[in-house]
Amino acid sequence: MTGDSDWTTDGDTPLELLTLPASTLDRVSQPAVRDAIQYFNPGLITIPGARTPTAEATARDAAPDIPVLHPQLGRGGNRVHHFRYSPDAGVHESPDAAPPPGTIDILAVQSGDVLPQLQTQLASGERQTGSEAATFLFAPKLTVDWDTTTLSTTLPHADQLAAISATLPEPVTVLAGGQPAEYYHEWELPHNHSSVHVPISGLGATEHSGAMFAQYTCTPRGTIAAEAVDADQFGLRALNGVGQSTAQRLRKQGCQTTSDVQNLAISTLTDLPGIGQTTAEKIHAHADVIHSGEPIVLTNKTPVKTRDDRPPLCLDIETDGLSPTIIWQLGVYDPATDTHQAFIEKQHPKDPKPVLEAFITWFIANHQDRTVLTWNGYKFDYPHISQFLEQHLPEYVDAWEDVWTYDLYKWAVRDGNALLPGRTNKLDHVARALGYDSAGTGLTGAQTAAAYQEFMRNPDSPVAELDWERHKTYCEDDCRALWHVYQAITNATRRDMTDSGTGGATGQQAGLTDF
Amino acid sequence: MSDNTTTTDTNASTDVNADTIIDTFPRVSLTPDSEYIETIELPAEPANTVPTAEVLRPELAEPYPHNLFSHQADALNALETGNNVAVTTSTSSGKTHIYGLQIARNLLDAGVLNPDGTRASEQNDASTALCVYPMKALTKDQQEALDDLYDQLGLDIRVEIYDGDTQDGRREIREQADVILTNFAGLNLYLEHHDKWSRFYSALNLIAIDESHTYTGIEGMHVAWILRRLQRVADYWGGDPQYVLTSATIGNPRDHSEELINAPVTVIDDDGSPHGPRDVILWNPPPRDKTRDSTPEEESFDIDIDDGTDMEEDDEEFVAERVPASVEAPKVFNHLTSHDIRTLLFCESRKLTELSIQRANEHRQNNPREYDRSTTVGREAYNAGLGRRTRHSREHQFKNGVLTGLATTSALELGIDIGSLDATVLMGYPGQRQSFWQRIGRAGREASRSLAVLVGDHRTLDQYILTHPEYLLENDVEDAVVDTSNNSVFATHVLAAADEIALDESDIGTFADEDRLRAAVKMWREAGFVDGYLDAAVHYSGPSRPQTRVNLYGTTGTDYRLQLADNVDRDKWGLPDDLDLEPIEQNRAYRDYHEGAVRLQNGQQFEVVNLDEDRPQPIIELKPVNCEYYTRTRNKVNVLDAESEESREVNGFMLHFGRGTVLVHHHSYDQLYIGNSDPKQQAIPTETPPILMDTQLCWVEVPEDVETALSRKYQDYGIETGVDPENTGIAHLGYIAGLHAAEHATIQTAPLELRVDKNDLGGLATLVMDTHYSHPEYDDITDSIGDSFEAATHALEQRTQELTGRTASGWFIYDGVDGGLGFARAIYENFEALAERARDQLRDCHCGQPNGCPACTFDENCGNDNKPLLRASAIDVLNQLLGDDTRDDLAEHLPDDEHSGDRRPVVFYS
Repeated sequence: MTGDSDWTTDGDTPLELLTLPASTLDRVSQPAVRDAIQYFNPGLITIPGARTPTAEATARDAAPDIPVLHPQLGRGGNRVHHFRYSPDAGVHESPDAAPPPGTIDILAVQSGDVLPQLQTQLASGERQTGSEAATFLFAPKLTVDWDTTTLSTTLPHADQLAAISATLPEPVTVLAGGQPAEYYHEWELPHNHSSVHVPISGLGATEHSGAMFAQYTCTPRGTIAAEAVDADQFGLRALNGVGQSTAQRLRKQGCQTTSDVQNLAISTLTDLPGIGQTTAEKIHAHADVIHSGEPIVLTNKTPVKTRDDRPPLCLDIETDGLSPTIIWQLGVYDPATDTHQAFIEKQHPKDPKPVLEAFITWFIANHQDRTVLTWNGYKFDYPHISQFLEQHLPEYVDAWEDVWTYDLYKWAVRDGNALLPGRTNKLDHVARALGYDSAGTGLTGAQTAAAYQEFMRNPDSPVAELDWERHKTYCEDDCRALWHVYQAITNATRRDMTDSGTGGATGQQAGLTDF
Repeated sequence: MSDNTTTTDTNASTDVNADTIIDTFPRVSLTPDSEYIETIELPAEPANTVPTAEVLRPELAEPYPHNLFSHQADALNALETGNNVAVTTSTSSGKTHIYGLQIARNLLDAGVLNPDGTRASEQNDASTALCVYPMKALTKDQQEALDDLYDQLGLDIRVEIYDGDTQDGRREIREQADVILTNFAGLNLYLEHHDKWSRFYSALNLIAIDESHTYTGIEGMHVAWILRRLQRVADYWGGDPQYVLTSATIGNPRDHSEELINAPVTVIDDDGSPHGPRDVILWNPPPRDKTRDSTPEEESFDIDIDDGTDMEEDDEEFVAERVPASVEAPKVFNHLTSHDIRTLLFCESRKLTELSIQRANEHRQNNPREYDRSTTVGREAYNAGLGRRTRHSREHQFKNGVLTGLATTSALELGIDIGSLDATVLMGYPGQRQSFWQRIGRAGREASRSLAVLVGDHRTLDQYILTHPEYLLENDVEDAVVDTSNNSVFATHVLAAADEIALDESDIGTFADEDRLRAAVKMWREAGFVDGYLDAAVHYSGPSRPQTRVNLYGTTGTDYRLQLADNVDRDKWGLPDDLDLEPIEQNRAYRDYHEGAVRLQNGQQFEVVNLDEDRPQPIIELKPVNCEYYTRTRNKVNVLDAESEESREVNGFMLHFGRGTVLVHHHSYDQLYIGNSDPKQQAIPTETPPILMDTQLCWVEVPEDVETALSRKYQDYGIETGVDPENTGIAHLGYIAGLHAAEHATIQTAPLELRVDKNDLGGLATLVMDTHYSHPEYDDITDSIGDSFEAATHALEQRTQELTGRTASGWFIYDGVDGGLGFARAIYENFEALAERARDQLRDCHCGQPNGCPACTFDENCGNDNKPLLRASAIDVLNQLLGDDTRDDLAEHLPDDEHSGDRRPVVFYS
């Protein structure tokens, strides 16, 4: 999934595919579905999971102009749905004619039983696909089974998936309806005494991973990047302070969307059970934020303190995974000089010391008196930097501890000092909602980690070597996005909540280590 | 407490002479020489000590107030030379001081302490210790013990508890404590944030694992992996811990310890501590008078005085039924505590601890000539179902003498300090020598005489023990089972380990074998829970906190909360706002808390009025009641989709080990009178669904010629098997009754060979073995039956018809916990020894009944009401398996032609 070489070629032409799992559609209101479709603005919608005509009707009604794929409903001769996409023509159901080679094909099967038939059609040329752009194969209920007693997994229909992959000249990516939205694995499947490479991405129709909607950026190279958002972030429930029952009561009063809420009197809100003055004001403010795309600050606290007038340094690190063995990139953007400094380990991926040493000596020598800002740094960047210093450069532990470090995510979201637009609290989503113009590397955090892992496994192979410039830009982009968010917050309107005494308190989240 | 409650002086020396106790017991003609009473005197042991100065440096030796027992000296010397040690000496033999003193030496060596015991520096980056205990109550106790030791030695050592109850100052403890006391359930979670513990782990040089024998079965497997994860974290931060494992009673200290910690240990088992003489009374309750009406009348509560008067004429006869230990033991408990003898009564269930207090009080009330009715005796129940506050208060009251007796579950088996006591009463044989010695070891102080009374139940094991006391006295205690080969448990810990520190090739051989580690990583990668490869780094990438998947106690994970029903008038019943009851897991909820169940909690009866599972945390609603009965569930069992993983042949019998699904349905319950456990109403439906367990099984297939011969040999048996006359028509009844009896007998005698509780095992005898197997050409039955036991039975009947002509007979034994405990594997490996025990039991029982008795074939957990059973055919089957009979012995029963006999019916008995 690293797709390192496609940065410059297809950055502007991917297919945006939204999945609305059937079980999630069952649980959310129609206005919320509309809100989600408006937010994601997809080219194509899929409904993985169980066969439900209601789910399909809901999606079609909410997105009358966007094709909706729910092949589970198909029967008889209509068991394979075939759509095509090109940047110029958009998404359309495939005519029988041969497509231009650069077309992305989307093949949707009613069930796994249809795969042999599809494979025959593809092999015989009866069904044709664009040979120079990826084909995405949508299997609405495909789920990977595993058995811990035998330490083995079973991929249903593996033979057919391998055969289809081997038949087509272009990359084939399988979209597995029954796997979580975060799921991505490149399978090596045996085929004809050899093996084929079959990437499989999950579409989120699982019982266990919560109710999510996810949008997938599908490139002609077959790469795929997911943005999964909790279904509760759409419709009225997107508003801070509006839960299931409040949303229901609001809808009963004819209030369907967040813009309807904007037009409600505060007193209408406080008349609802469990809503005090502060909460009502916050709900109102949040509706304003979502519509204006402008943040609102709720307190008179400042996000950071600095020793002088210089702005904070924006820091971001890249690791090889969530339990890092190396911090292989440390990027620092200095808004004071509008310069970015990156420290990247390109030679010794299994030795975490040199890159860390380069960073820390540079930092201590030049910026010891500066304030450092991160996004979620208290949970990720800072503890990992400390841990690696402790392990490899204990002599710098104290000096680093003296540095003033802040976490804008904690300040704004966890401590409730600001209301931000965006449906998740991920930095790139927040920044995008605040109008940040991203560099468009097409990378995600998971992809950049996976690319480095590949490099760690084959440090001497030119194939595994990263496009360093692209990954450096990715990290720099995050540092600059952070600065953008910081500026938006410091320039934001402040709206003090009336102190009603009853709180509307943002109850402290139970500590994860409370045991 | 009322004013006229007697309070015992906890320091007074009490006469606990066995003969006196027996002579004064209010039952006519009971003497120490009675047929059913046997007293064994265990001699005192003198101390064997070593001058402390020979072992410890002067700073420690001079203030240490005693000489060291020889085993303490041996252990400290072994630790000095860098070995890990496993100390297995008796209760109160000073095991805590072994690691306590080693910690002190380490801190002095590391320069954290000055030679005068003061701290050389505030910060300790050089020497830390971790002590792990099986119960929080014990942790608290041991903190006090270590603090006392260091006070005596004048050492400024920071001993801190860090567990779920630790509210404040967690960070300070991590950053400053010298010694941290915790438990494995907590440790499992704390490992995730090991970076916050970097100081502690980088200096870690001692890990003490107290009461290590408790880490057996499923819990043992998890602990073994938690310790491997702990070792990875210690390695990462540069710690290099030595291990000290302690246990009073364990049969295989070396194997068990080495399996747990994955490193060699030196075993220290030559006990140098003294103890006083101990009388063990083996107490068989008198026969039960079966002529009485089974519905008790009021007077039946007053039968005690006369109980046993008609015993003499029974002396040489078989006793069909005896007074249950659950009725008899509370009387003995009353007798002892009424004589101011500080006593623990060990009961097999929480329910029985509560019932026993009631029964003891009744016994006291009903024998006014013997006991002074104007006073009461301080006695309370103690079990883990009571809330923490209640438990703590009862510990305290017993310690300071307000209570003279506690009726407890195994909760007080371990070394919680409740002060010294003089006697223990065991309600039934606890199933294991390990547990027997641990329990009776609770009584006795220094050199004074102590007493233990084992009140036998009328069941196989107990009767065997009472008639073969040498089994207790002459054998080592059982082995503790730790099965690190269990893949499911391993796989869970692979996720946790990857989350803590990325896995790589350096974990091969240290954390797990290469093939296994690669297989687990590949599986989790394909399933989407980890990313990366071992040649670089494997990171956890699934839902956060994989440590919470670790389930130390093998439960399903869903807890059921107990609460009062809405409409209960608390004031009227005098109930507190908070019932202070612990949540329970699903299997227990279905068994004990179905609607209609009557449970005793804190002396108050409650009826379950609602079991509500349709919510994130299911709840059980209770209503206080006063009724004359309690309830007991009945269950039925089936085995589905069994898949053989290993098999071997024994004299033509095929033994298998494998996995499968066991369906247990607690389908109905009985109401039983409290006074005598006689039934009031029977077979009331529970309305709960069956529970499916994916578990491990062992099974045996009987060869066809043996089956054919025995079917014919016993073809005329009918009501002799215990079934009602209308049910005698089943083909092969005499034979299947033998399989059923052999299944019961092998399960019941399993604890004689292995460290296993028979309640953790289940069985099923069947004429259609293959029907219960998984077949490649069929879908698994489990997938199609939903929540219906009947659907499973129907599917098996269907399968039998489809599988005509290729099915065998035999029986299954399975681990009664989801995932399996490793016991079925041990049974598979030791099957001949078990079969021999079972055969002896069946052959040697004097009951004279074809279908046997509670002492040979009956099982209180039998789902088929102990029908049909037949000893003779069971003995024949087992003799064939053991090779003690030859096939020629059966020749006369074989038919002349190949084809014969009736079509085998689809019957199975659990």
